[in-house]
Amino acid sequence: MNKPKVGFYNFSGCAGCLLTILNCEDALLDIFNAGEVVSFLMAKSDNVETELDIAFIDGSITTNEQEEFLINLRNRTKKLVCLGVCSCYGGLQAMEYERKTWAKRLKKVYGNKLFNVVIPMESKPADSFVKVDYYIPGCPIDGDLFLYNYARLCRGLPVDMPKTPVCLECKWHENECLLLKGELCLGPVTAGGCKARCPSHNLPCVGCFGPADESNLTSEFNLLKEKGYSYTEIERKMRLFGGVKLVKNLKSLWKKPAK
Amino acid sequence: MEKTSKVKLNQIRIPAIARVEGHGNILVEVAKGKLKTIHLNIPEGPRLFETLVINKTPQEVVNIVPRICAICSVSHRYAAIRALERALNVKTTKTTLLLRTLMHCGEMIESHSLHAFALALPDFLGYPSAIAMTDKYAPQVLSALRLKKFGNYVMEVVTARYTHGENATVGGFGKAPSSEQLLTIKQQANELIPVAEELIELMRNLEYPTAMEDGMTFMCLKPPTDKYGFVGDKVLISTGEEQPIERYKELCNERVVEHSTAKRCRYNDRPFVVGALARMNLLGERLRGKAADAFKRCYSLSWIRNPLYANLAQTIEILYCLEEIDTIIDALIKRIKTLPDETKIIEPSIKSGKDVGAVEAPRGTLYHYYEVNRGIITDANMIIPTTQNLDAIENHIRVAAQNLLLNINTKSLASLSEEQRKKIELIFEMIVRAYDPCISCSVHLVETQNKQKT
Repeated sequence: MNKPKVGFYNFSGCAGCLLTILNCEDALLDIFNAGEVVSFLMAKSDNVETELDIAFIDGSITTNEQEEFLINLRNRTKKLVCLGVCSCYGGLQAMEYERKTWAKRLKKVYGNKLFNVVIPMESKPADSFVKVDYYIPGCPIDGDLFLYNYARLCRGLPVDMPKTPVCLECKWHENECLLLKGELCLGPVTAGGCKARCPSHNLPCVGCFGPADESNLTSEFNLLKEKGYSYTEIERKMRLFGGVKLVKNLKSLWKKPAK
Repeated sequence: MEKTSKVKLNQIRIPAIARVEGHGNILVEVAKGKLKTIHLNIPEGPRLFETLVINKTPQEVVNIVPRICAICSVSHRYAAIRALERALNVKTTKTTLLLRTLMHCGEMIESHSLHAFALALPDFLGYPSAIAMTDKYAPQVLSALRLKKFGNYVMEVVTARYTHGENATVGGFGKAPSSEQLLTIKQQANELIPVAEELIELMRNLEYPTAMEDGMTFMCLKPPTDKYGFVGDKVLISTGEEQPIERYKELCNERVVEHSTAKRCRYNDRPFVVGALARMNLLGERLRGKAADAFKRCYSLSWIRNPLYANLAQTIEILYCLEEIDTIIDALIKRIKTLPDETKIIEPSIKSGKDVGAVEAPRGTLYHYYEVNRGIITDANMIIPTTQNLDAIENHIRVAAQNLLLNINTKSLASLSEEQRKKIELIFEMIVRAYDPCISCSVHLVETQNKQKT
């Protein structure tokens, strides 16, 4: 079997997901062996932009140039894989999504200067512009989950991510439940895969893997309200890493008489 | 991320600098035998972090700011914690401070070994990447990866994850590492000391190009004791001055420059340099043990003129951190045994206040400032090392361009051979890389090429 042609691309973010790949020190040479890595700007300088089998991206789309590049990338890759909550859901920088505060905030940071070449926009995930084949969320992604899925993708298999929330992994660690202690923990509604690191360190889950599929937001809201948290506090916490996906979920929540 | 650009006759344009974190490009233009433009451009998309921390709790700030940049995520977290603890008058325990020094050493080792060996070293040896170097330098590449992995392991143990670990927070740590984990770290650190020493020799014996040499002004934090270190509430300047961090705005003089929308920093109207080279120049005499020996062996007067020695300075800091970890862990294990309660998180006693906090990130001094009103952030500012270094980077590119281009007797750059052009571009890139720029970090800075040059 021929090695797949692989590219790694960074859009607007902290670069932590691509760094997580470089942090797989023991597997680094294997990563470069299993696929033919034709482009990885952060790691090497002999990069070639060509037809690809798999393109991995991290970071969200925040400029017109990035949008153009993403469309170009989609057109020349067979599979497009989003790494991290930025490319999957818009990332932290999308926490104000649909609140219409972006123009004001941009002005606050940069003043009245106009950009001539790069036109900035509010952070959006890749699937706002192109079709995405697979999502590997996290802030940052988990190295083991990346390696597992990288190996699968190189063999032509689909991505396989945990379908359960952080809560389950937390139970496996036999931690004391922080929600029962009255802490604002997002474990029940956050996608698993992080090995429940924070609750295992007595710290509530901040939701950095993004919203879990089919999570029961209504129940989490009601539980937290019982513990004395306001709607604003709960939503603020959920928005930190939830991005566009959370806002969509919240909308469905609004339809129910949640108040 | 860039479009393929046409090479103009009077330009050298490096459209996408590889082996740096984030996106940057270099533009050098010559007109009538004179240098016209030297721009280090950064078309990174804006994320507006300063506005994202407003209306959040101090705890949420600590969750948010590491995401400014993955490579310095511990430093961002630490700077925010220091600022918020000063603002809210939180007095932490000695155990907490030791654990923080430990995580900080982990980040230094990880970031420096990634940068010095995987990002910078390939240029000196004529390779496109560290992976490609494995044909002749496999043992050295594996040594570098061992160090990097160890740095990550330290962060994983202390902060709960090697990137964006949430364990370190305002007032302390969620959970202290076990004695077994700490002893593993200590043992590994000691095993890696000879590995680091070998890599220092490799870096010391490289040939350092000199075309960019020019006098530099250095700044770094002054450690509270007479030892080497990465935190402090005062800033040392190579002019001999000492300033409190509260004066960070005057020290950095962030300003908007005409040719871009980016903010830049200058002190006394001169570019200045932060990072490992600055720390070694200002604090190198404080080193002890094997790091002190290495420093004496390596240091020369070129270190005050040549930014490329930052790579060697980082390698010596790796050795310093390994020796420091050994000492910290002895102290930590003793304290955790005798004072187990010291690991608890101390809640702030007041809910309003404002202050600045600073740490040395791997690539230089990092300032965070917060105003808190009844438990909610009302104002914030962050000044990032890469922003502080940008003027100095451009200055060294300018000096190199003068020496390399204008000595070539040509009216236009078009007559440069492909080989000459490649060599010159490499020197420019080496300068940028030596500063270990962290472009994601430069949050205030969206620099655009706003003049489409003729």
